[in-house]
Amino acid sequence: MDYLKNLRPLHFFYLAALLVLFTLPLYAESGFVTGLMPEGMDGSALLHVMLMIFFFGYLSQSWNISGGFAGQLSLGHAAFFGLGAYTSSLLYVNFGISPWVGMLAGMAVAGTFGLLIGLVSFHYGLKGPFFALVTIAFAEILRLIIQHLAFTGGPMGILIPLMGDSWWEFQFLAKEPYYYIALFMMLISIAVVWVIANSRWGFYFRAIREDEDAAEAIGIDITRYKLLSVTLSAAMTGAAGTFYAQYTQYIVPDDLIIVAFSIEIVLRAIIGGAGTVMGPIVGSFIMTPLGEATRIIFEGGGAGISLVSLLQQEIPAGEKFSQYLDYLAAGGGGGLAIMLYGAVLIVVCIGMPRGVVPWLRRRFGRYA
Amino acid sequence: MSILEAKGVTKIFGGLTAVKEVDFRVEKGEIVGLIGPNGAGKTTFFNMISGFYRPNEGDVLFNGSSIVGLKPSRICKLGMTRTFQIVKPFPELTVLENVMMGSFNHHARSADSRAKAMEVMELLGLAERAGELAGNLPVAGRKRVEVAKALATEPEVMLLDEVMAGLTPAEMHQMIDTVRRIRDTGVTMVIVEHVMPVIMSLCDRIYVLHHGEKIADGTPEEIVSNKSVMEAYLGEDFMIEAEGNA
Repeated sequence: MDYLKNLRPLHFFYLAALLVLFTLPLYAESGFVTGLMPEGMDGSALLHVMLMIFFFGYLSQSWNISGGFAGQLSLGHAAFFGLGAYTSSLLYVNFGISPWVGMLAGMAVAGTFGLLIGLVSFHYGLKGPFFALVTIAFAEILRLIIQHLAFTGGPMGILIPLMGDSWWEFQFLAKEPYYYIALFMMLISIAVVWVIANSRWGFYFRAIREDEDAAEAIGIDITRYKLLSVTLSAAMTGAAGTFYAQYTQYIVPDDLIIVAFSIEIVLRAIIGGAGTVMGPIVGSFIMTPLGEATRIIFEGGGAGISLVSLLQQEIPAGEKFSQYLDYLAAGGGGGLAIMLYGAVLIVVCIGMPRGVVPWLRRRFGRYA
Repeated sequence: MSILEAKGVTKIFGGLTAVKEVDFRVEKGEIVGLIGPNGAGKTTFFNMISGFYRPNEGDVLFNGSSIVGLKPSRICKLGMTRTFQIVKPFPELTVLENVMMGSFNHHARSADSRAKAMEVMELLGLAERAGELAGNLPVAGRKRVEVAKALATEPEVMLLDEVMAGLTPAEMHQMIDTVRRIRDTGVTMVIVEHVMPVIMSLCDRIYVLHHGEKIADGTPEEIVSNKSVMEAYLGEDFMIEAEGNA
């Protein structure tokens, strides 16, 4: 009964959101929903965008454990992601082992790699930006190794053959199963981080982030807890790699293990509020649609223009600018997304330096 | 057996001997002061007994066994903790959550840790501010949180680094009272302090460092009348002049 008394408006909001997310595939194709969406998007595209929100929410939440709570700024999480993807894919393609089992193996491999990076970095007392550089370096090395090994498919990557539409094979012809798997992964990651945040681990992680000496003085073995945070974070990130491999059925090192991808992961947590339980999720709900929806909406919008020819054209500046926007939108589809990213980043950095969630809490905390 | 003992500890940074062969002992239940002019090596000495620096020479014994080479976190588990001169409570966490960081030392479960933290805050007069954000507290409150955090680790020995710095005289009186109350619960204390009246009224015994060496130790009365201590604080020139005038 006490629990019911403690229910607050925020809980009802979460409940409503869960209800919508769980039932969305049932009416994604309905005229009402598609009518709300921008032109060029259909129900399937909506599910894809939502799925990517969950996927990046999960990834960012995984990063949040070490990067947000424990303050160990990793810019190499793409490496853990790649290890998860490659481990399960290689086991699946070569030995027919179910990707679900491969996911656990991938988590173990990614976690071990995280532990290794942590051991090396923390042994030499590398903190802050130096730790970030080490994680980038490890990720780059890993990419080069994978590109040059024969059994990983080298630069060509691995094509995962379609073995059938089944849960055991982790392969589906429809989007819905992937949608629900991604949703569950995100919810599990929220639960894991919530439990951590309210336990000794979470307190110790935050203590380390704020002041390592002060943490040591009150009995926190900082090396141990930093390793714990990085290992756990890496292992969870590995699981997302398996999901991605099974969803796209094709993995290449140049797509997976790149700094840009690591930054995508980090960005969501920072925008939403690193070191908070809901920050990375909120960040993903803001940033992922920007990337995905603009890609879908603007794809092919101004194809065929080159920047040089555009700049050489003798047309009014306003028209040139609008064509330039088309050019950006067409540039692999990501151009405009990057501009929007930049705009959102600037707004958040100026207006909410700690992220959206702490800002909301300060402004509206009394209503929640 | 002394609860804490340093035997001939020396710390050398490059060519500079920051602390030279200092002997130091603290008995259970005492409040021991550590004073000296700026640059005397007090903080370096503090860092050595709390495990943050490893002495080049000498030994540090806690309850009779050497703690040299142990991590500060290990030393805290054994029963000795310290505070820092520059206090940094987590501003966006509440006072209670800040103190819980310390009480998790001996209580793995959140509920137990919370109970212990409440008990400590009661003793330090922080209980009614438990739900406040630590960042909203004034300096005196933040210092109190720092002491509470250390006390919540349930230490036998607490090393306090300038807890009076930045406090008004009224707040200092409260803090002196607090330190005495902590001692009455059976905690032994070593304090580094610049504020002389505080040291004199609080401490059972005082050690004086100057240029990294121990130049005197004794009761507050012995220290105020010690000639080399006055020299160290006032300078030799002043001493000669003072004697000439006498």
